[in-house]
Amino acid sequence: MEKIDTSIQKRKKLATGKSANMKKTTVRHTERFALFLVLPAHFMLFFIVVFPLISSIYLSLTTWAPMTGGGVKWYSAYKFWGGLTNYWNIIRDVDFLKSLLRTLIIVGVVVPIEFFVGLGLAFLFLDNFPGKKIYHSILLTPMMIVPAVVGFIFYMLFQSSGPINALLSGVLFRNVNIAWLQGKFSALISIMVADIWEWTPLMFLILLSGLMALPQDQINAAIVLGASRYQRFKRIIFPLMKPVMIIALIIRGLEAVKIFDVVWLMTSGGPGTSTETISVYMYRQGFKYLNWSWVTACGLIVLILVIIISIYALRPIRREEEKAA
Amino acid sequence: MVQKLYVRILKYALIVILALISFFPVYWTITMAFKPFAEWTSATGKIFWAPNHLTLKNFKDVFPSTTGAFFSPIPESALPPLIHSFVIVVVATIIAMVVGVLAAYGVSRYKKGGQLPFFLLQLRMFPPIAVIIPIMIMWAFLRMIDTWYGMVIIYATVTLPFSTWLMKTFYDDIPRELSEAAVVDGYTDFEAFKKVVLPLAKGGIASTALFVFILNWSDFLIAYIITDKDWATIPVHINKLQTALVGQLYGPKAALALIALIPPVVFGILIQKYLVRGLTFGAIKK
Repeated sequence: MEKIDTSIQKRKKLATGKSANMKKTTVRHTERFALFLVLPAHFMLFFIVVFPLISSIYLSLTTWAPMTGGGVKWYSAYKFWGGLTNYWNIIRDVDFLKSLLRTLIIVGVVVPIEFFVGLGLAFLFLDNFPGKKIYHSILLTPMMIVPAVVGFIFYMLFQSSGPINALLSGVLFRNVNIAWLQGKFSALISIMVADIWEWTPLMFLILLSGLMALPQDQINAAIVLGASRYQRFKRIIFPLMKPVMIIALIIRGLEAVKIFDVVWLMTSGGPGTSTETISVYMYRQGFKYLNWSWVTACGLIVLILVIIISIYALRPIRREEEKAA
Repeated sequence: MVQKLYVRILKYALIVILALISFFPVYWTITMAFKPFAEWTSATGKIFWAPNHLTLKNFKDVFPSTTGAFFSPIPESALPPLIHSFVIVVVATIIAMVVGVLAAYGVSRYKKGGQLPFFLLQLRMFPPIAVIIPIMIMWAFLRMIDTWYGMVIIYATVTLPFSTWLMKTFYDDIPRELSEAAVVDGYTDFEAFKKVVLPLAKGGIASTALFVFILNWSDFLIAYIITDKDWATIPVHINKLQTALVGQLYGPKAALALIALIPPVVFGILIQKYLVRGLTFGAIKK
């Protein structure tokens, strides 16, 4: 409504031959039809956003929990008005800060590894070799598996009598018997391995489609002119691939922050809280200790962080979009 | 460019190794699912790289008969969760598709909807756990906790960003002149959409639907919180076995995991071509 779009203008031009009255009805029809198209989506978002947002701001300002005061209902939570107490306590809460830091460490380790392995693999796939299609499918399989199932599979693999220890024993020629999921550090490593296994294919897929879209004539010209492999990468491939690389890193990075399923199935955040990510922390606070007002406050803090990060991070996608439009 | 032979062999070897790493966990799950007790148990401390005696017993154990005619180590059958998953995921996918197919056309063709696409994108970036408690309160108020429609509404909304964005990329590929010509020929906008655009977007719609199906099928956290006994889905069921006394029953659980991973993997391979588009919100098109 606020913008008179090009299609309507075109329509007006088309309709100039017809009567003014008819022109008006077609435009109004188009306008109404366009509204009909987007209305259900708006309605759905409205339904799921408005109430939760308001109630979550409301609850986060109280110290209410489902069990406080013998089961006071959520709408009477004002009886436990706390103002900003939750927020103030959360930003000083060691467990919260640790889980946040841990999540960032996981993202910081896992995403670069996935990126470089994916990139290397994508370069390998530029050549032709026998069975390319089959290898392509096999390499993509991990990312299609349900994350909870991935969690269970790696839980099984990382048992002390499981195949990973057996493989290591075979390679190192001595008996390896690590209780992976029971050690603080090794449990974190196991989770990272599972995540890398699952999501490297995504990086590979995105980067491969970026590489395939490169203008081959430019690269061939550079080869003819005698550019070295490194020069070709630095001067041609990298600048052209940069947007794709950024998009791959952002999408994977933002998704990795949410990590829950794999952690939950493998360690449930343990031993102790040593593999607790931000999602696991919030789950435990909300559904083990029933600190609901606390968790809504945490949720809002995380949402604000995500919004700030994604406004910057989603810029490249937005730019692509505007370019297309 | 002709590469030296040893370079090519080296590259090929690298691909084979990575493919093996990629496939090994799946292979292990498959073997575990078909191994008899003596081979999958960790009690003996022996590793069986391949099943020596193939058996279907693990699959039978996952679906114990309710009559209790024979002993079963797993107390609850996986059949109801499997049916729940299918019902919830299929209905949610249909709703997300209908809404997304319409909205995407509005956005792509008429630039309608204002900030809708980016709002959807933003929605996708939120960790579900950060918003689930207020949604739970709302669902409790509407009596939608642990119901199929409660799950369907959440799933449809959560995957709406993907259906809308992916459909938008498919519409963008269809020349606008086609629907314009149809309108000039006397079609209304709706008829042009229905009779000209939709048939052309058929392939796109099918791929998007499979993609949304995979995403919905993969959810664990939302189902874990919103459902309880009546409508637990298959990932929730797998988790339930993880924490219960049956914790070490690798064989039957591997059988269940295998069942849960088949639909998304098959669909995923079918729509390989569009996975990048879908997962990058159309920012990268092949």
